[in-house]
Amino acid sequence: MSLSPDDDLAAAEYALGALDPAERAALAARRQREPDLDAAISAWERRLAPLAEAIAPVAPPRDFLAEIESRLDGAAIASAVVVDLTRRLRRWRAGAIAAGAVAAALAIGLGLRENMRAGLPHEYVAVLQKSADQPAFVVTVNIDARSLTVRPVAAPPQPDKAYELWLIDAKLGAPRSLGLLKQNAATASNVASYDPAVVENATYAVTIEPPGGSPTGKPSGAPVFVGKLIPTGP
Amino acid sequence: MDLGVKSDAQDLVALMARVASRDRAAFAALYRQTQAKLYGVVVRIIQRRDLAGEILQEAYVRIWERAADFDPAKGSPIAWMATIARNRALDEARRVQPVALEDMPDGFDPPGEDVDPLSARQRSESLQALMRCLETLDPEKRQILLLAYYRGASREALAKRFDRPVPTIKTWLRRSLADLKDCLSS
Repeated sequence: MSLSPDDDLAAAEYALGALDPAERAALAARRQREPDLDAAISAWERRLAPLAEAIAPVAPPRDFLAEIESRLDGAAIASAVVVDLTRRLRRWRAGAIAAGAVAAALAIGLGLRENMRAGLPHEYVAVLQKSADQPAFVVTVNIDARSLTVRPVAAPPQPDKAYELWLIDAKLGAPRSLGLLKQNAATASNVASYDPAVVENATYAVTIEPPGGSPTGKPSGAPVFVGKLIPTGP
Repeated sequence: MDLGVKSDAQDLVALMARVASRDRAAFAALYRQTQAKLYGVVVRIIQRRDLAGEILQEAYVRIWERAADFDPAKGSPIAWMATIARNRALDEARRVQPVALEDMPDGFDPPGEDVDPLSARQRSESLQALMRCLETLDPEKRQILLLAYYRGASREALAKRFDRPVPTIKTWLRRSLADLKDCLSS
């Protein structure tokens, strides 16, 4: 521990909760990049935590469980999208590799070349993946026809489970199921019931579900693959 | 809800393990067993009920997300969960206009009387050890420390309440905390 006594006491005051807003924010920022300080704060939190046992329970004004659970669905997806997607999308869009080129490279082996060459103006592609080198599914959407096709690329087989596709957009509230995905062949679906702007901008996510799909109508867990649409046309 | 009782604490440890493995049913059970406790933690720091409900929800989302980080060797589940709820409440308390301690609404007993509604039998060993160390502090300094913990009172609010300069409060808090650390490690 290379932490100064002064920093240890600052950590103590932070854990206690007595710092003013500016000091609290400053220490919260420092703990992100200073492991010793972070450990000191955690140690102080543990020292003081037994005090919480002595706090009398207070019944909340209402039951928040349903609201919390719907947030869990949203949070799981949001964090997966942030971690798995935004960085990669930015990388694709920057530099020499244009987004269209990446989509094209992936699409060539998937029989999409004819569409690409025709330059259909309202066709979009999304690569659903866990990491940049592990594309699992490719989603193509024709906005005019409101049709959606999902092709497995390298999705690991799930013998006793099913892959389920979800449409996620803030405008929709909860994720909407677009149905189960075939593991060895393309799955066709349609998005006619959704606003084209939502279809275009939404996040597409795949979860692993029981064979018949999610029993609750909501994703059962965090998505295993996510992606967003990229226009393939000019 | 006797969370200080050992069998309940063990139940919570088992529930936490299931929550860490993404078991939603276990999460619902954990919520049912702990919501009033955590709401008690939050509402002492954030008196506005609308904000307190929001913070409670956010705290449970974090508990779900971080359940795998919980280590039963380092403390009880309720202490771990309360720390998460408390930190969220403190962040919010520092964001919204601070409430002066004099302005606190009725129904919140001063921590001096409020500090231990558990019977001695129900106190965990770690709480007993902490209470013994708190007893060694000067009464006024102990009360300042407990107000900071239970109400999230800032140095400024404590300075007004006890009619002392802010630097004095800071010095007292730090001295008290240092004394507590020594006492706990002895």
